[in-house]
Amino acid sequence: MGRQSAAVAAVVIEREGALTHPCNLARTLLAASLVLAFGSVAAQALPGEGRVALKYLDYVDSQPGKERVRVKATSVMAVVPVSQDWSFAATNTVDAISGASPAYHSAGLGKLTDLRSAQDFSVTRFLANGTVTGGVSLSTEADYVSRAVSLNTAQFSEDRNTTWSVGVAHASDDINPTNRIVRNERKQVTDALLGWTRVLTPHDLVQFNLGRSWGEGYFSDPYKVFDNRPRGRTSTTFQTRWNHHFEATTSTLRMGYRWFSDNWGVQAHTATVEWVQPLPGDWSVSPLVRFHNQRAADFYIDADLTGSPFPPNPPPEAVVFSEDHRLSSFGALTLGLKLAKKLDADWSVDIKVEHYAQRSGWYVGGTGSPGLEPFFARSVQFGLSRTF
Amino acid sequence: MQKLLLILRTAMCMVCITTLAACASPAAVQAWEKGNLARPEMTFDSDRLDTKFVEHTYFSKEAAFGGSTVGGGGCGCN
Repeated sequence: MGRQSAAVAAVVIEREGALTHPCNLARTLLAASLVLAFGSVAAQALPGEGRVALKYLDYVDSQPGKERVRVKATSVMAVVPVSQDWSFAATNTVDAISGASPAYHSAGLGKLTDLRSAQDFSVTRFLANGTVTGGVSLSTEADYVSRAVSLNTAQFSEDRNTTWSVGVAHASDDINPTNRIVRNERKQVTDALLGWTRVLTPHDLVQFNLGRSWGEGYFSDPYKVFDNRPRGRTSTTFQTRWNHHFEATTSTLRMGYRWFSDNWGVQAHTATVEWVQPLPGDWSVSPLVRFHNQRAADFYIDADLTGSPFPPNPPPEAVVFSEDHRLSSFGALTLGLKLAKKLDADWSVDIKVEHYAQRSGWYVGGTGSPGLEPFFARSVQFGLSRTF
Repeated sequence: MQKLLLILRTAMCMVCITTLAACASPAAVQAWEKGNLARPEMTFDSDRLDTKFVEHTYFSKEAAFGGSTVGGGGCGCN
């Protein structure tokens, strides 16, 4: 591979090593071939291959002796490069939700049924030393409509070993619960993200992201009793990810860590480790483990089983309060396994199974929130994709 | 369990510190050395639909969110 084509390949690799796009060796070689054919050094980032993908999710969660929420979701995505400078991407997702959800803590299970339809559309402009991506999103449910816009930019260094990225997004949500507890409520959320991605060695890619979110409006859950949350929420995230390739075994270790903190008093640490092992016959297997440790929101009200079956009353002086177990102190462990197979040069299929368990007794750094049932979730994803 | 979690958290801190130290290294990777980085598993978002499903699920079951991307809007699930 000549220097010029290698430089182009490096640009493609660097772009794909940034936050958003997939890449593979075939695309790299195609880019190199184009440079050899046309004899020009294309310092510009290049669109990747086109891709169409389908994913089906079967999800169910539960607590001991009781099944809770079940979701069957289908998502279709298309990525279409239209020229050397532009690429479009679109996603359509439909979630069918049913089952039961607790009214407070782990009790008072009430039936729910909903259908959610979500669409995302983005346009990417490829520049001399980076990319700019603009996106719009729409999510519609019977009681919740969310409209969002986003802008993400990535800038590459001269040697293509470093990528700086900036992303901003704003969502405007309309909330009209079917129980009419509130009417015509709204929520506005603005997110910003600064990212730095670096090629450390021929086998190591590392990324640091610093994020900030500002939200105002209606954050309460209208289907839960004693749930009145603050009308503002500001949060900060710090995330680092590191991918390391082992040449001897052709395997890859993917590690990630996120720290989260907000003005509700929630603090969380999330660590993920995944191992990707290629197998003969274009198969690959990827076990993963994730641990999430979360401290409760300041206004979370602990369960008090002595008053069962009635929920505990918030303190008389409390202005904000919630008995939603998702705001409690707990530790949660995910074990997953993904199996993928390349059928030929263009088609691939995959299946992924994950089991999730959330327990207050697993909280690290103090005592977990008392009186809550363990919470479990099982998800299975089936995927099919084609590149062109 | 508590000991295992403490070990995991310590290991992650060491990963962060080691990575930061490595970032300070002046050695630059050349373009012709980047073949392995082109592998899909070496990118941070090789299966976008998988990532969207997973992030949406955790958003609906936990209080923490975000970290790697912006955009996509909200839902009534949290």
